[in-house]
Amino acid sequence: MKELLTPRKLVVRIALAGIVLIVVMFVCSLIGAESVSLKAAFRGVGEHPAVNPDYEIFVKVRLPRIILAAIVGAALACSGVVFQVLLRNPLADPYILGISSGAGLGTIIAVLSGFNWTLWGRSPIAVFAFAGALGTVWLVWFIGRLTGKFHVTGLLLAGVVVNAFFSAVIMFLTSVAQSQQIHATIFWLMGNMTEEDFFVLWIGGGCVLAGILALFNISPQLNVLSFGEDDARNIGINTARIRTIAFAVAAFITAIAVSLSGLIGFVGLIVPHAVRLVLGPDHRQLLPLSGIIGAIFLVVADTLARIIVAPAQLPVGVVTAIVGGPFFLVLLVRHSRKVSWLK
Amino acid sequence: MKKWLWLSVLIVFWTGAGLAIIDFQQEQNRNDTPPPAQADRIVSMAPNLTEILFALGLEERIVGVTLDSDYPPAATKKLKVGTFWQPNIEAVIAAKPDLVITLGFDQQRNLAERLKRIGYNSLILNIEKVSELFEAIQIIGAATIKQHEANELVHDITKKLDKLLALIGTNDRVRVLWVVQREPLRVAGRDTFINEMIELAGGQNAIGPTLHKYPPIGAEQVIACQPEVIIEPAMNQADPAGQQASALQYWNKFRNVPAVVNKRVYVISGDTVSRLGPRLYEGTKTIARCLRPELFEKLAQ
Repeated sequence: MKELLTPRKLVVRIALAGIVLIVVMFVCSLIGAESVSLKAAFRGVGEHPAVNPDYEIFVKVRLPRIILAAIVGAALACSGVVFQVLLRNPLADPYILGISSGAGLGTIIAVLSGFNWTLWGRSPIAVFAFAGALGTVWLVWFIGRLTGKFHVTGLLLAGVVVNAFFSAVIMFLTSVAQSQQIHATIFWLMGNMTEEDFFVLWIGGGCVLAGILALFNISPQLNVLSFGEDDARNIGINTARIRTIAFAVAAFITAIAVSLSGLIGFVGLIVPHAVRLVLGPDHRQLLPLSGIIGAIFLVVADTLARIIVAPAQLPVGVVTAIVGGPFFLVLLVRHSRKVSWLK
Repeated sequence: MKKWLWLSVLIVFWTGAGLAIIDFQQEQNRNDTPPPAQADRIVSMAPNLTEILFALGLEERIVGVTLDSDYPPAATKKLKVGTFWQPNIEAVIAAKPDLVITLGFDQQRNLAERLKRIGYNSLILNIEKVSELFEAIQIIGAATIKQHEANELVHDITKKLDKLLALIGTNDRVRVLWVVQREPLRVAGRDTFINEMIELAGGQNAIGPTLHKYPPIGAEQVIACQPEVIIEPAMNQADPAGQQASALQYWNKFRNVPAVVNKRVYVISGDTVSRLGPRLYEGTKTIARCLRPELFEKLAQ
């Protein structure tokens, strides 16, 4: 029997996880292809910039990238939690309703069109990916609605079919594209972490944080939803409203994550499950802790991606799957007997 | 409802704080560092750029190359800054360059722009045609105060190519199928530098104009285009003999293609023909040798 979750326990756990996140980010920022000494990096800050490579690597390349990984990891993990409860399906992840193929389609269109502008510091690829992701989710949602109000199966099937259809369009465009353009797209589809402007990180991080807070707001209702539609309605919860909010917010933060860093798989699937397996399915705890642990996981995975084949680097999606998969299986075997929801 | 109000206030506050703390305009306009009069620490992001730098006698000033820069041999001893497709920006910065030269591919252009935002000078060069190669040599020459050497290099290459063409003559061009990849079959189309090299070597691309630069083709087109010579650049530098054997085996199924009938399927060393660089003449000569072996045998005697 699991003990009840008290507010105090929740705050302590979130604080602990937050401290771990900060420590991990700090340690990872010291690891990289080039060894950087903090002392050298902050000697003579504010002087002529081009003379201190330690400073530039640490502050302008590595730090933004680590912050980006944390933002994206948190967004994907939280949105994974929400999709799993909304669709009542343990296989659900942030990409299940077509976000990935929609964003992929946006990307390849941006690459093929050869646009060369920036919108608030974002490249056409990021803008098109964001638009493609949200557009596709809206389309799936719309089709799902036509099959009946919040008919989970209808929604899922619509997602699968739209995914397949857009994938086919992506394949077609790939087959007519020039090989060098395909290269750019493929790296993006495997997850592409680069350093970003601090302003972009600030706004992106703000959006994701706001999204997670909004989801946290409705986490008690999400708990009730996980018992089933009818039960939730009987208790007097406006399930349609909660579902719409949760769905829109989760899709929004996923689209932000995707436009920042391409498609990074696995985080949104295994982190929520891992947290649920170890700490239980209460969403008030599951959401914030998944966010923080998702951030830790992606920061570590990205650091590995940076150093394993240095001086080259791996796509981070490869690392998340290779590191995350076995780790998750161990958790699954060790904890699944204790947790009732799997039965 | 109160919670949602607080959340909206928080978002507004956050955005405002961001605008206040981070100087957005300054982040956007950081790339105004003037280029140095003479680049002394150069990073090359592509193997053919490395070859150009070496050919201009800039060996001493190169501080970083990509992993695939293997010619001249001295290039392999230079500091590595990632691969062509996956450049490592940390390694580039650690090399303390005052000029980073990249090609115009998306991946490379992206690196150049990122470096520019941090405050490093970069030079993006498109080298996809022979004329662009000569232009690029001149531009690099100008950036490194080696104009004289650049002119000389271009002059030298064109002179050798002219001589080669004079030797071969331009009448009755040999029809060549240039195979980039066997399974699935992909060949070099008209809009490629390979096509230019084939023509400089006195040949003619057997494949007509296509949508792709390197079109995937079917068996039907192979037979229809009736190539007199089939050339495959060696993919595996270590085992060209193995590829030659497998090539003969593969092409044997096209029994009515002249190149196969006359046993004129060649596997040639890939380096000089897969990069457009200062070894353009050497590459073209290798191709010419495949197109008219009898001519070169006579010359050797």
